[in-house]
Amino acid sequence: MIIVENLVKSYHSTRVLHGIDHIQQPGEVVVLIGPSGCGKSTFLRCLNQLEIPDAGRITIDGVTVEGGRPLRTREGRERQRLLRLRTGMVFQSFNLFPHLTVLANLTTGPMVGKNMSQETAEALARKLLAKVGLENKTEAYPSQLSGGQQQRVAIARALAMEPQVMLFDEPTSALDPELRDEVLAVMRQLAEDGMTMIVVTHEMQFARDIADRVLFFDDGRVAECGPPEQVFSCPQHERTREFLRRVTTR
Amino acid sequence: MSNACRSSRLTFFLVVSALLLAGRPWPACAADHLREIQRRGVLLWGADAEGGAPYVYPDPLRPDQLVGFEFELAEALAGKLGVKARMVQNQWDQLIPALERGNFDIVLNGLELTADNQQRIAMSQPYFVYAQQIVTRRETPGLARIEDLKGKPVGALSSSVAQRLLEQMGGVELKAYPGNVESFRDLKAERIQAVLVDLPIALHYARPDPALKFSGGPFAPGYYAIGVRKPDTRLLAALNQAIKDLADNGTLERIYRKYGVWDERQAALKDYQPEVVSQRKPVSTLRDWPRYLPLLLRGAVTTVELSILAMALAVVAGLVIVLVRLYGMAPLPWFAQAYVEVIRGTPLLIQLFLIYYGLPEIGIRLNAFLAAILGLGLNYAASEAENYRAGIQAIPRGQTEAALALGMSRWQTLRHVVLPQALRVVIPPVTNDFIAMFKDSSIVSVITMVELTKVYGMLATSTYDYIGLGLMTAGIYFGLSYPASIFANWLERKLRYDHR
Repeated sequence: MIIVENLVKSYHSTRVLHGIDHIQQPGEVVVLIGPSGCGKSTFLRCLNQLEIPDAGRITIDGVTVEGGRPLRTREGRERQRLLRLRTGMVFQSFNLFPHLTVLANLTTGPMVGKNMSQETAEALARKLLAKVGLENKTEAYPSQLSGGQQQRVAIARALAMEPQVMLFDEPTSALDPELRDEVLAVMRQLAEDGMTMIVVTHEMQFARDIADRVLFFDDGRVAECGPPEQVFSCPQHERTREFLRRVTTR
Repeated sequence: MSNACRSSRLTFFLVVSALLLAGRPWPACAADHLREIQRRGVLLWGADAEGGAPYVYPDPLRPDQLVGFEFELAEALAGKLGVKARMVQNQWDQLIPALERGNFDIVLNGLELTADNQQRIAMSQPYFVYAQQIVTRRETPGLARIEDLKGKPVGALSSSVAQRLLEQMGGVELKAYPGNVESFRDLKAERIQAVLVDLPIALHYARPDPALKFSGGPFAPGYYAIGVRKPDTRLLAALNQAIKDLADNGTLERIYRKYGVWDERQAALKDYQPEVVSQRKPVSTLRDWPRYLPLLLRGAVTTVELSILAMALAVVAGLVIVLVRLYGMAPLPWFAQAYVEVIRGTPLLIQLFLIYYGLPEIGIRLNAFLAAILGLGLNYAASEAENYRAGIQAIPRGQTEAALALGMSRWQTLRHVVLPQALRVVIPPVTNDFIAMFKDSSIVSVITMVELTKVYGMLATSTYDYIGLGLMTAGIYFGLSYPASIFANWLERKLRYDHR
């Protein structure tokens, strides 16, 4: 369960998030849409502490981190680590470790961050690679893979930490259209398996298919929130309508 | 009698000069050089005024003015020739090659009248009788005779008669210094037990120092004489006549008394009879390489040991510096940056002097080898820190974020994700630095280390075969540094991960 209360974030003097509240049940898939610079990526990055919020409170699966609190204390750092262990992140630019093989990309996190033994970590990694359809690429290096394959490895890498929540930050934006489907298929499978997910995406059809709930972000606020049928078919707000008109007529 | 801090650059310059000048005639028309001097009205005399008391040195009260018994002698000699004297500054152990090049007309700077020196140049009547003096610390007992020095660390001026005497006797732990001041400093710092030195130097530097004493009497007397180029026979004859006149009319005695270097030995000047010096065949060190190569290789071993240990220090210390700078808690990054800026902004030579000669004054006495490793290592550490910083900052931010998102700590992120990738980026600049240090290490000869370039310099000044020895030495340097670049290329390939 994710509980976000009054999340505020500014860069220098520009406020990017104006007090976001959000509650998400386990197994629920939430899709964030909205124009560029509306704060949806920042929101996602606050959830796993890649950005430190100025104020507010984030609770994921019983671990609470307060915004604005400096992380100087050992306890603060430990909470941050626990929060990150509960969330898996998939980036727009994959960010695989180029100096490691696919297998090592998957095993390094569990072995370093969770002290998992090498055998256990490798067994888990092979299972997850099979799940994303790349069981024959264990010894390849990221540079030998296509973009779609790299992103599937990145998803498997995040899953290897066995998180409660998966965060996707525009996972298909850097991919050619013909490579997007293989990634979306993996995400779909994940959603069907009951993973709690928050997805930032511009793939409206995919959002409609996969989301239990859609959040429309505008200027650092949640402007509209509801099941996909409602948000996409009869949006309540003018800003939402305008945004949907632009992305669908493209 | 001293010389400036030698540097590999100078040696290189000399090799090039020797190559350019090989086979050319003397710059001025041969036998008429005396007329040339008189026509221009100036006698150019080569000497080294750095630490050159009491021979020729800047007046402590008026540093723009030179004084010294040889300075006054040069003035008197020039007066006899009817011209003015002008000193040309030149590193002491390179005075003869510089004379041959034509940088000045004569060498007048405690040049010993020896058969060795007369191989390449002609020498005048002697103008001074010197002797060797052992100097020790006040409390040191014994060591009154040169034989007593066996088994002891003893300092001598590089390329001096004292050095040759100690080498001929053997069994001495000899340390050769580029200047006079440094050997007495090391004596007081207890790095050496005694200094063997020409008497005038001992009289000027050691006699007034209450911490030092003359041990035993002067011995092994010899003559100082003026060096001229061999074809300048009329100049030589004129100088001989002038020296005789100055001796006869008491000018020499007056000058020497003024500087406290007159003694009864100077009477021997009048009895001097020139000896015929047999000309040895010019040495070709290339043809005779089995004799010279092992000596050079022994120097190369020191160079290799020094470079590897200093680089190991630089690589590790540089890593500590960069980690503190990038990730340390305030104000540590500031100190790390200040370290880099100060080290980078000051000459390595000064740093070595401070470590070797300066630290003993606050009670830290390192031997020359340790001081050299520390000096080179800490200097290059600043450079490696900057290399690492560039390497670390070349790793995209997304890599760090991905690692943090996986729950790694900052340190784990650095250790498992950032540094392994940065390693490959920094291999070329670090190898470059290693090869540069390999050659820069020759600078440590200023703190008495005898490494490859120093061996080259010592052999070259005794054989005059700058070309043959230069080629051999350059060959050794290249033969050692080229494998280092091959190894670095191999390592770079091995660490490649963009397999395509």
